[in-house]
Amino acid sequence: MPRFDYIRAQTIEQALQLLADPAHVSRPLAGGTDVLVLTRYEKPVFDRVVDISRVAEMKVIERQGDEITIGAGVTFTEAAENPLLQAVAGCLVEASLTVGGPAIRNAGTLGGNTINAAACADGVPPLVCLDAVAHLRSLIGARSLPVSKFIQGANRTGLQSGELLTHFTVPVPPAGTRQAFIKLGRRNAQAISRLSMAAAGHLDAAGRIDYVRLVPGAAMPSPRRIPEVEAFLLGQTPDDALLAAAGQKTAEAMIAVTGRRWSTEYKEVAIQALAERALRRALL
Amino acid sequence: MLIEFTLNHKPIAVEAPPDITLLDLLRDHLGLTGTKEGCSVGECGACSVIMDGRLINSCLVLAPQAGGSEIITVEGIHAPDGGPNDMQENFITYGAVQCGICIPGMVVAGEALLLHNPNPSRSEIRTALAGNLCRCTGYQQIVDAIEATAKGRQGNR
Repeated sequence: MPRFDYIRAQTIEQALQLLADPAHVSRPLAGGTDVLVLTRYEKPVFDRVVDISRVAEMKVIERQGDEITIGAGVTFTEAAENPLLQAVAGCLVEASLTVGGPAIRNAGTLGGNTINAAACADGVPPLVCLDAVAHLRSLIGARSLPVSKFIQGANRTGLQSGELLTHFTVPVPPAGTRQAFIKLGRRNAQAISRLSMAAAGHLDAAGRIDYVRLVPGAAMPSPRRIPEVEAFLLGQTPDDALLAAAGQKTAEAMIAVTGRRWSTEYKEVAIQALAERALRRALL
Repeated sequence: MLIEFTLNHKPIAVEAPPDITLLDLLRDHLGLTGTKEGCSVGECGACSVIMDGRLINSCLVLAPQAGGSEIITVEGIHAPDGGPNDMQENFITYGAVQCGICIPGMVVAGEALLLHNPNPSRSEIRTALAGNLCRCTGYQQIVDAIEATAKGRQGNR
């Protein structure tokens, strides 16, 4: 007796119909790199997977005006190889290239990474850094909210029954914005992030910071920008001392959320260095 | 359920449960045991196959997801006469095979790389093998074998 059934959706509409079918507890399946690992360790809480990996509408990456649409079904490889994302979403491209190994990047998707919402998800800090909005659809309607709000905590999102994360939209950052993503893992390949950092920055004509984003990964229960550090940097002219102070403030901001735990002794200095290095690449 | 796809360049239809992995379909239902099971959670690359031109871990693909796809396993990689191809010969020549369990995955990962990048640097070869673990060789000989294969194929063009 199979533990679950399989059905493939060709369109978003079809996927929504299948997900809403009251006869089944359905789980969308995209890259499988989280769902299949889960079924290996635990009894599935679903009785049917709805394969959304072939839904062409969820694979788009396109620019319309000042906004980029990124389909939830875009794999890390597809994101990393996309010229539009290479041009305007460098931190997302860099992060995509740090995920797993080639086979994982060929399967895993940005949507799946967000839905799984692991604290160590490498796709998430760049999405939050880029002010990405998650777009959700169900048979009842559509809604959208920032990725930073959609992810509510470790492995917890605001996804409701019958809803599908279809795509993200990202406002195009100011022209000339530089971005960085840095990851600390036990090794370079197939590593789970111990800590990561996404940053983006832009200087005005006088060399002062007029746009800055800083988002740590695997540091706090849910991904967020660090507004106190961004406010500290805005209007300043970046130099070594300023970025070192920003690193210090990033560590303080993390500890204010997490408190001091067994890992803080390491994370405090590590996050300080990561923030400083990421900001250096974005601002200096 | 009936799963239809192209396996090693031949169309195939196989009846299998919907909840098994492509790895189990290949090994247990189709008798293709060249693809190995290592970790079963996408960490080791022993189960690497090429799906629609891209390297994937067959332990993380449901068998029915292969429906309509083109799958190449290590059994589909050989010389026209059925013997080892140049990649496989080079694995032997360069001493890249010790215990052997990772080798089908390594050969498949090497071929997947050369599909997209016929002239890779050593660094690109290492990146391409990043998801394939080998506990015997220390990788150098495997990188040598893939590099030699790429050079050989360039020379023959």
